[in-house]
Amino acid sequence: MSAAQIRLFTLWRREVSRFMKIKKQTLGAPLLETFLYISVFGAALGSRVGELHGIDYVVFVIPGLIMMAWSINAFTNNSSSILQQKFQGAIQDQLSSPASPMELLLAFSLGGFMRGLIVAVLTFIAASLLVDLPVDHVLVLIPSLFLVGFFFAQLGVLIGVRAEQFDDVSFAQTFVLQPLIFLGGVFYSAELLPQPFETLTHFNPIYYMINLVRYGFVGYTEASIPLSLLALFAATAALFAVNLRLFSSGYKLRA
Amino acid sequence: MSDPTAPTSTAGPKALHITDLVKRYPAGVEALRGVSLDIEEGEFFGLLGPNGAGKSTLIHCTTGLAQPTSGAIQVFGHDAIDRYGEARQAVGLAPQELNIDWFLTVEETLDYHAGYFGMPGKERRQRTKELLETFSLTEKRDERTRTLSGGMKRRLILARALMHRPRLLILDEPTAGVDIELRLELWHYVQRINQEGTTILLTTHYLEEAEQLCSKIAFINDGEIVAQGSSQELSNRYGVPNLEDAYLALVGRKELSRSHVDAEAIQ
Repeated sequence: MSAAQIRLFTLWRREVSRFMKIKKQTLGAPLLETFLYISVFGAALGSRVGELHGIDYVVFVIPGLIMMAWSINAFTNNSSSILQQKFQGAIQDQLSSPASPMELLLAFSLGGFMRGLIVAVLTFIAASLLVDLPVDHVLVLIPSLFLVGFFFAQLGVLIGVRAEQFDDVSFAQTFVLQPLIFLGGVFYSAELLPQPFETLTHFNPIYYMINLVRYGFVGYTEASIPLSLLALFAATAALFAVNLRLFSSGYKLRA
Repeated sequence: MSDPTAPTSTAGPKALHITDLVKRYPAGVEALRGVSLDIEEGEFFGLLGPNGAGKSTLIHCTTGLAQPTSGAIQVFGHDAIDRYGEARQAVGLAPQELNIDWFLTVEETLDYHAGYFGMPGKERRQRTKELLETFSLTEKRDERTRTLSGGMKRRLILARALMHRPRLLILDEPTAGVDIELRLELWHYVQRINQEGTTILLTTHYLEEAEQLCSKIAFINDGEIVAQGSSQELSNRYGVPNLEDAYLALVGRKELSRSHVDAEAIQ
C-alpha cells in the first residue's frame, strides 16, 4: 500500500472502530427500532391495511425502512463523530497529519456509510427471514442504496463540521431529517394523500429516494426512475463538492 | 487528487524557517504580527512569552491547525502551508491540550497516529511496542485513554508525537501541571532524543526548564519576536543576572524579579 492508501485506510479504520466500540448504541438500537417498525406496521397494522398497489403492506414498507436505516445511521454517525472529535480536540491529530482534504473527507464519509450499510444489510436479512421480500431490480437497487448512503454520509459530515454544539446535530436530525423521511412516504403511498399533501410530497427529495429503493425491491414506483437516479447523483456530487471545499478551506476545522 | 506529499524545495537547511508570519483571526485579533524565526537542525529551541503572546498560534500555523493570513513557513526546506505533505511528515506535535481520542486504547492511539502519517503496519507495531516501553505504558496498552491519569496522558501525547519519527519535535508546554518526577523524566527523554539528532521547539512557562534544556531561546510578546539568543545573551541584552529577570523585563514586570526583591531587602 502507498503512504496515501495507508493514511486513508487508517482514517477510515478509526471511524469504523468508533462505532464498533459502542455497538449496542450504533448498531443494536437502530436494528431494534427497525424491527419494532416492522412488527407494528407489518404484524399489527399490516393485517388491517392489506395490500397497497397489489403489494403486501409490510413488504411495501420494508424498502423504505431499509433506506431510512441506512440514511439516518450514515448521517448520525458522521455528524456525531466529527463533532465529538472537535470537542475533544482529538481531530487535531488527523488535521496535523499529511492527509489531504480529499483523504480526510472520504474517510469521515465512509465511516458513516459503513455503519449505514451494516444496519441496512442486517435489516434486510432480518426482514427476509420474517417476510418474503423480493428484489426485482437489483441494478437499480444497488446504485440507489449506495447513492442514498453516500448522500446522507455527506450530509452528516456537513452538519458535523458546521455544528458547534450537540444541539445543532440533534436539531438537524429531529427537526429536518426525520420529518422529511417520515413524510417522504416510507409508510404510505403519496398517491393516497389528499391535496395539497400529495403535491407537497413531490417537493420532498427523500420521496424520490424512497421510490428508487422501493422500485429496486418490489418494482413499484410513483416517480421516474432515471430522473430520480440522475437527480440523486447530481445532489450527492454537489454535496461532496461543497464538503471538499469546506475541508480544503479548513472551515470550522482549522483556526 | 493533488498529492500534498510532493516535494517542493530542497533549499534551506533550517529545521524551521518562518518569514513574516501574520495570523489574524476572523474576530480581528492579530495573534502574530510579522514573525520571522529560524531554527537550525539539531537545535533545542525555546519559545517563551506570556499567555496570549502567540506561541500556540505559531505552532498551529506550522502544523496546519491554523491557517496563516500571510507569510511563509518552511520545515527542512518544505513549504508547510500550501504543499504541506513533506513538512507535516517531518513534524511531531505534542500539544498543550490533552487532545486524546477517548474512544481509542493507548495502543490504538499510537497505531492510528502512525497510520495517519502513512507508516506501514509492521513498522507501526514495532514502533508502538518500542514507545510503550520507553514511556512505561506497556501495561496500559489495552486501556481506553480516558482511564489514564494526567501524567500518563502527557506521556502518551509525547509518545504519539514521536511515533512517525519526526525530525522536528514541537512541545507546547509539555510539563504544564505534571509532577516533579514526571517533569524530570520528560526532560531526560527529550534531551536524549535531541542528542540523537531530533530538533526540538519547546514552549514553556518554566524558565528553569528553558534555561536547562534550550541552546537558543526566543521571547515572543504581543505577536512579535522581541529578542532571541542563548540564555546568557538574553540576560546580557536586558542587563540582568538571569533568564527569569530578562523575561520579567520583557513583560514589563521588573518589580517581580528575585534580584529586585533581594536588592530592596538589602537597602
